[in-house]
Amino acid sequence: MSVHILGIRHHGPGSARSVVTALEAIRPQVVLVEGPPDADDLLALAAQMEMRPPVALLVYRPDEPKRAVFYPFAAFSPEWQAIRWALKNAVPVRFMDLPQRHRLAEECEEEDTERLHGDPFAMIAEAAGYSDGERWWEDQFEKRHAGPEVFEAVLELMTALREGTPTNAAEGRREAWMRQTLREAQKQGHERIAVVCGAWHAPALATMPTAKADAETLRGLPKCAVAATWLPWTHRRLTYVSGYGAGIQSPGYYEHLWALVQPVELATRWMTRVAHLLRAEDLESSTASIIEATRLAETAAVLRGFTVPGLAEFNEAAQAVFCFGDSAPMQLIAERLIVGDVLGAVPEEAPQVPLQRDFQKETKRLRLPPEALDRTLELDLRKPNDLDRSQLLHRLRLLKVEWGKPMSARGKGTFRETWHLCWEPELEVALIETAPWGNTIAEAATRFTIERGSHCSALPELTALVEVLLLAELPEAVDRVMHQLENQAALTSDIGHLMDALPPLAAVLRYGNVRQTDASMVGHIVNGLVARICAGLPPACTALNDDAASEMFMRLNATHSALANLADETLRAGWNSTLLQLADDDTLHGLLVGRCTRLLLDEAKIDADTAATRLSRHLSRANAPAQSAAWIEGFLAGSGLVLLHQARLWNLLDGWLGSLTADHFTEVLPLLRRTFSTFAPPERRQMGELARRGTGAPTTMAVPVDEDIEQDRADRLLPTFALLLGATP
Amino acid sequence: MTTPVLRSHAENQFADELAVLARHDDKPKPPNWKLSPWAVATYLLGGTAGGMPITPKYIGLRRIIEIAIATLATDRALLLLGVPGTAKSWVAEHLAAAISGDSTLLVQGTAGTAEEAVRYGWNYAQLLAKGPSLDALVPSPIMRGMREGRIARVEELTRIPADVQDALITILSEKSLPIPELGDEVQARKGFNVIATANDRDKGVNDLSSALKRRFNTVVLPLPDSVDEEVEIVRTRVASLGRALEIPAEPPALEAIRRLVIIFRELRAGATADGKTKLKSPSGTLSTAEAISVVNQGLSLAAHFGDGSLRASDIASSVIGAVIKDPVQDKVVWQEYLETVIKERDGWKDLYRACRDVS
Repeated sequence: MSVHILGIRHHGPGSARSVVTALEAIRPQVVLVEGPPDADDLLALAAQMEMRPPVALLVYRPDEPKRAVFYPFAAFSPEWQAIRWALKNAVPVRFMDLPQRHRLAEECEEEDTERLHGDPFAMIAEAAGYSDGERWWEDQFEKRHAGPEVFEAVLELMTALREGTPTNAAEGRREAWMRQTLREAQKQGHERIAVVCGAWHAPALATMPTAKADAETLRGLPKCAVAATWLPWTHRRLTYVSGYGAGIQSPGYYEHLWALVQPVELATRWMTRVAHLLRAEDLESSTASIIEATRLAETAAVLRGFTVPGLAEFNEAAQAVFCFGDSAPMQLIAERLIVGDVLGAVPEEAPQVPLQRDFQKETKRLRLPPEALDRTLELDLRKPNDLDRSQLLHRLRLLKVEWGKPMSARGKGTFRETWHLCWEPELEVALIETAPWGNTIAEAATRFTIERGSHCSALPELTALVEVLLLAELPEAVDRVMHQLENQAALTSDIGHLMDALPPLAAVLRYGNVRQTDASMVGHIVNGLVARICAGLPPACTALNDDAASEMFMRLNATHSALANLADETLRAGWNSTLLQLADDDTLHGLLVGRCTRLLLDEAKIDADTAATRLSRHLSRANAPAQSAAWIEGFLAGSGLVLLHQARLWNLLDGWLGSLTADHFTEVLPLLRRTFSTFAPPERRQMGELARRGTGAPTTMAVPVDEDIEQDRADRLLPTFALLLGATP
Repeated sequence: MTTPVLRSHAENQFADELAVLARHDDKPKPPNWKLSPWAVATYLLGGTAGGMPITPKYIGLRRIIEIAIATLATDRALLLLGVPGTAKSWVAEHLAAAISGDSTLLVQGTAGTAEEAVRYGWNYAQLLAKGPSLDALVPSPIMRGMREGRIARVEELTRIPADVQDALITILSEKSLPIPELGDEVQARKGFNVIATANDRDKGVNDLSSALKRRFNTVVLPLPDSVDEEVEIVRTRVASLGRALEIPAEPPALEAIRRLVIIFRELRAGATADGKTKLKSPSGTLSTAEAISVVNQGLSLAAHFGDGSLRASDIASSVIGAVIKDPVQDKVVWQEYLETVIKERDGWKDLYRACRDVS
């Protein structure tokens, strides 16, 4: 009876190759693999044709899907190769780790030993001066031995490494379980047993304490129900920390190593793939460059004392030869080759994912069953159930599961929402696709949105995302995306985008919203935005043509009213001084100067006399009539009340109109007509009356006087006001 | 009587280090190299040879120098790229000194560099007297490098007009330089190679043709990696420059330098040091060399108009001068930075006020 312990490097292609060779040599009667025994039933699925790595085994608590563990497998994972070998050769294969039904039953998350110690090979490799563990393995084992004796060396090495390192309780339990599984296999009378486990555990399995001691360790473990399934995985997800310890940084490169038939072709094949990728992106990369890059990588490796170049040399050579020192294409290589965009596939028999379960749970709770029929849903956000429904729909929108489409709500009030709902079978697929992002809708939407936010390169895109996000109530994502927004705001040189981002944020800050977003966070961003807008606005307003000026005009108005709603004096002071600066700059487009003057007048930052002086200056003969008319448009657009109340302004305008020559008058008439047509009909009528009288009438202002108020009658209004404002009397 | 030269060549200044390295060099050398690639790396990055310490010539990433040396060892021409003040010429000079024992084969690239400077010229007196002959030929540094199998340097390659740049193509691909007037050619001997430096940030440069680009391996020299590293470079250089200029102020407080370096690094990197806030970058480069000159300027302000010690107000104006190169764009960048970063940082109030006063 013999037990062969194959201590491997998780996700190491070199290990995988050694494992296959070793298994061929040993021909074991049973294969034990480090992994959750809860998923033993699912192992058979791995042999199916439709199963295409990268895939992941998911073990979770059905009652609490958030408590879940992923065990990802790539084609080059030694565990995967061992499972496939066993299934192909009809050898029984079993998982041997401490079952998740015990591990997930514990209250607190246990510290993963692998994460605790780091990849032991990475540590050794680093000590030996290698850039990554894979390269060290290649150099130490692949190049020298090809047989199962590799694993004896690994065992020795790990024994030495573990000496003096105390085993913590969780690790002790896991290894005890592994040994018990091993004993059981021995008891069943298997002659040759192969054990495939992380190298770190190899020494613990090589020297067996008494079965009694292990049984003692495992006594009284808590237990809970767990479910397991296969999920399609991606190379990108392999780079994240999950089930088997730390993520790997270069799954695409490992895949390349694994798929390599001729080891001598490593450098040429990799460099050729790099060249092809760059060519596909229309970047220059000739065959001559492949030769030079290969030579450079190999020479650099020799200079560093390695027999074969590794990823570090390949990257540096590619940057020096293909990219002319530019690091931007290297990003492309990293994303597409070194990580890769491979998506795995799973047979249909695989059970459901937790995100689907959570979705079903949520829809049942909210009495919002998915239906294939079109229907319109009206929500009143003041009702808790409706608010939750709205949040769910917004979260699904964030996840790109377009079940509900928001419609413009009828009637006034921010508490009303109208949705158009239609469930399509494709949405189920969309839901599963987003499953890797989290096990509950909220969690997945949070992570997915953070990821999406981090890829947004333009401010408007991000602003749009924020608008949905604020409605979906995902505090964590709001934090991160807001931060991203802040960063983008700092980088953008387009003042227009900054100004567009301000109003929704200001609205959140002013009115809160029905959903209590963290106001201090928003406040910080709004402060930054306003500072940037104030700094950048004057240059952004120079040399605008009519179209650009009218666009800026709209933005000025929107920004001003957003700021007017905020009761923040310092912000408004900064904004007003910027407006003053703009109003003083006669070289700007008349529309903007006029608008700024008007806004300042409304804010009482300048008085009517100053405004009159400015009006007169801008209407003076030295200015082109078109410019003057634009100024008037900017000054008056929206409301002409100021003309009715300020006789001086009226007279000045009247005088200017009278002084125009016939040609000039014809020229500016359309502009003036456009301006005056924006006034309310009563204003226009009053102006007409004023004009018939010839001169501006002395203005009378209604000033409230204390004696005028009749206390009794006023008091009678108060309950109605209270009702309108929603205050309890 | 000979007075000492103002600045001696690298191979003279570090002659004893090169000699020790050569003596203890037991690794294989490429043909016509004075040192093996390993010894060249030690020379540039510092270390010890035969018990003698070798001073580091380049403080920074080891892998950059290794790739540069590996490039030269594969007979490929090397292009050192980087913003001004990243020690491109310095590295080129020392590489040439270590590999060929000679850093003098130099073509300085300017807008007026003619083809003769890259290929060969004629001694017209000789040419008229004796007709075309090898004697009448005035070889360029590159031609000499080819004949002698040594490294030739081209400084500021991108400042050279494009048609003159392309004269390098034959030299780099065929490793030979035809002389049609004599029906002859010069073939490069082993050990010949070209190190070129170029500035990728400068405006109005002549971009390399892709034919020429393909003949170079490009290595980018980055700005210093960490704050401490850069503070150290600025401090030592300011100390030595201050001595030379006889500025009487007391040595600058490390804190002042640190703040300056942080400002420069943050603006350059386009993000605050803690990585939390992104920033716009100004149009200028803000190299370490500029930080050095700002401190120097501040020191002399402090010495002549202040109380002798470096205060925030002393560096404020020169910082602004260094940052704002483009009066419109950079001004926005600076104001944003001032209002969103400097203003909110603890203990930076004095600097904020000083900068507000100046701008």
